[in-house]
Amino acid sequence: MSEVTRNKLNRREFFSYLSVGWIAFTAACAGLAGMAFRFSYPNVNFEPEMDFIAGRIEDYEEGVDERWKNGFGVWMVKEEGKLVALSNICTHLGCVPNWMPAELKFKCPCHGSGYYTSGINFEGPAPRPLERYKIGLTPEGTIKVDKTKLYRYEKGQWDNPNSFLSV
Amino acid sequence: MKELINYLADPIRSFPITCVLYFLMMKYYKVVGTKKFAWIAGTLFFITAGMFAMDPNFWLIITWPDNIPISILILSVGFLTWFTLYKCAENDKRIEAGECPIEALPENREKVWAWPNLVYTELFAIIAGTAFLIAWGILFDAPLEEPANPTWAPNPAKAPWYFLGLQEMLVYFDPWMAGVVLPGLILVGLIAIPYIDTNPKGNGYYTFTERKMAVSMFMFGWLVLWLYLIIVGTFLRGPNWTFYGPFEFWDFHKVVAEYNVNLSEFFWVFGLKQALPGNLIIRELPGIILTILYMGIPVALTFNSLNAIFQSIGESKNKFLNITMIAPAFKCLAGIPAFIEKTGYIRYYIYVYLAVIMAMLPVKMVLRWLFSLKYIIALPEWELNL
Amino acid sequence: MAEKGLAEKVRETQVWKSIFRHGPPNNARNRAAVVAGNVFLHLHPIKLKKSGVQLGYTWCMGGLTFFIFLALTVTGVLLMFYYRPTAEYAFNDIIALKEHVPLGIMREIHRWGAHAMVITVWLHMFRVFMTGSYKPPREFNWGVGVILLVLTLLLSFTGYLLPWDQLAIWAITVGSNMAKATPVMGHGGPGAMLMQIGDFVMVSDKNDVRFQLLAGRFVGEPALLRFYILHCVFIPLVVGVLIAIHFWRVRKDGGISAPL
Repeated sequence: MSEVTRNKLNRREFFSYLSVGWIAFTAACAGLAGMAFRFSYPNVNFEPEMDFIAGRIEDYEEGVDERWKNGFGVWMVKEEGKLVALSNICTHLGCVPNWMPAELKFKCPCHGSGYYTSGINFEGPAPRPLERYKIGLTPEGTIKVDKTKLYRYEKGQWDNPNSFLSV
Repeated sequence: MKELINYLADPIRSFPITCVLYFLMMKYYKVVGTKKFAWIAGTLFFITAGMFAMDPNFWLIITWPDNIPISILILSVGFLTWFTLYKCAENDKRIEAGECPIEALPENREKVWAWPNLVYTELFAIIAGTAFLIAWGILFDAPLEEPANPTWAPNPAKAPWYFLGLQEMLVYFDPWMAGVVLPGLILVGLIAIPYIDTNPKGNGYYTFTERKMAVSMFMFGWLVLWLYLIIVGTFLRGPNWTFYGPFEFWDFHKVVAEYNVNLSEFFWVFGLKQALPGNLIIRELPGIILTILYMGIPVALTFNSLNAIFQSIGESKNKFLNITMIAPAFKCLAGIPAFIEKTGYIRYYIYVYLAVIMAMLPVKMVLRWLFSLKYIIALPEWELNL
Repeated sequence: MAEKGLAEKVRETQVWKSIFRHGPPNNARNRAAVVAGNVFLHLHPIKLKKSGVQLGYTWCMGGLTFFIFLALTVTGVLLMFYYRPTAEYAFNDIIALKEHVPLGIMREIHRWGAHAMVITVWLHMFRVFMTGSYKPPREFNWGVGVILLVLTLLLSFTGYLLPWDQLAIWAITVGSNMAKATPVMGHGGPGAMLMQIGDFVMVSDKNDVRFQLLAGRFVGEPALLRFYILHCVFIPLVVGVLIAIHFWRVRKDGGISAPL
């Protein structure tokens, strides 16, 4: 009887079991690594609101308005009959450019990118213009800026009616 | 005088100057690697440093707490670079005379007891290190600025000093190149060094003659491309990341006229006098072709017909070609088939591609300075700028 | 018979003999026993080539790097007693480290030590290159060393955020935005746009590599916590393991290099 049971597992079968075992082990390791990876992405995160009410159109004068810059990271720029919500995140490495009223440009302190008031880049390493956020009017007539939707110049999205308000 | 130094310190001039100095240092390393040279150079260095430090603007920059490590780094790298050349020169003279390097002398080959020889050296190093850190900690406060404010960036906003070389590269390259691809290749290239450099000589002793290529390439990358860029990024970059000479006041309103142009604009607008084509690929075709040609250099170098030309230039007796090192450089290129035969194609291509990509940095710098070239390939639509 | 000195009397006590099994290291047998029998010293070979103890050859930079790593571990653990990695407390705790804690230079030593370690690790690499010590049989150990160098920079970089001041947050903003530009895996990098099926964006600012690093779309409180854990636990553990491998391989590859 003992002879028979010992013969049940011959050399070839042993190696096939061994390879199944190794494949299972590798798969388990990969699965655990994947779970650890997924673990590092939380389902909910507590970051500030992405949209806000930015007063009324009459509140803004021609030019660059900095009142929402510190709270929400947005410049309101009114020129050529359009009011736009310009992102204040440099397209180079995400620093916050400074508005320089004397030179009429946004200048990034990190690597010296410069932008015109329209948001178009003209100097320094910035690869593309600043982004514009979705802007619209609420039924009460106030301005609503929605930062979840971006409009990019080089994709021709600045013609999109949601990217500006006509004034 | 100060104006002159400010003028020379601009990377447009100081980068070529550094390269020339590096070249001279390596060419005349036997002169550099003498004690006499060290005394003269050291004295001159401290006199100049003292005179530099009299300037209030320069004093402000070097005493900024996070810049102190760089002064320590400059001093130690300066000394150790001299020291390693000294050791190399010493050994190379012996090797040329047919003797063994100093490290291989019988009295240096003997074995010594770890206790007390090694253990006491370590004890001394630990005590000295502790004393040094405590003294540094007492003398200089760790920097602390205002509390973090995500809506207002300080000007200039700098990375930690050891990454300033990378931050300086960001002036010339897009983040995906300067921040990801180039550092990744530095890492891969460093790990690959022992597998590419198959020269069995120079293992376990200082020497330059026996491994000229390896040493001069490594030192160029380490001293010129890495440390020089860190020094520029720390000492010479002020508000808005514009250039400020060492004695220049960091004026926030310094206006620098800078307008960079893409290669596609050069080609279509200035060259052919027409509007940029609408199709992205056609618009960027000149840049794409140039890049492919550049990347084809390593393949072209293996062609036999080119090799004959290299050989004839390499063996030229023309004085000008020899003094400017053009002839020796071509001699090197002519040695490529022999190199491939010895080490194989895989090693050759890995080595040359690493070198070609490393060379992209100085190439791009020079193009920026000469032609205000922004990108060779500019595809912001795909976030792909080169 | 001469009177025995105090030192000798101490050496003969049962307590001393239970700790140190060997006599004073003044003869060959005991010198070997000291190094081989001590858990800390047995890192060393009993005898080594002369180049391994010559400062002119080794510059002692590897040893100093390890010493500074230990010093940073000790000061770092001490700092952890007073530091809370939250946006509310972090900055004030750093000030308190200076103002309310005796021996207020602990943070200074930790910060300057971090800078010093970057310098010594670079110089160590410089020396190893110049003596050709990466050549066979030490190729693998050179690779381990390169990874240790990168981890040293990452340790220093993650620690840079913890004071939670302007210097910290903007250095990390610039640094982590490079991760955004990673080809394909970062939402601002080349190729990320190809990872889009219809309206469904596969790589966005909510699921790319930068988000994993920062646990958010920008450098905020989750990033502070994440960097704290990386700085105090994760990277030091990896570095510790790699240091063990590095030292082990130095011994196994024939000790500190010397002419073949």
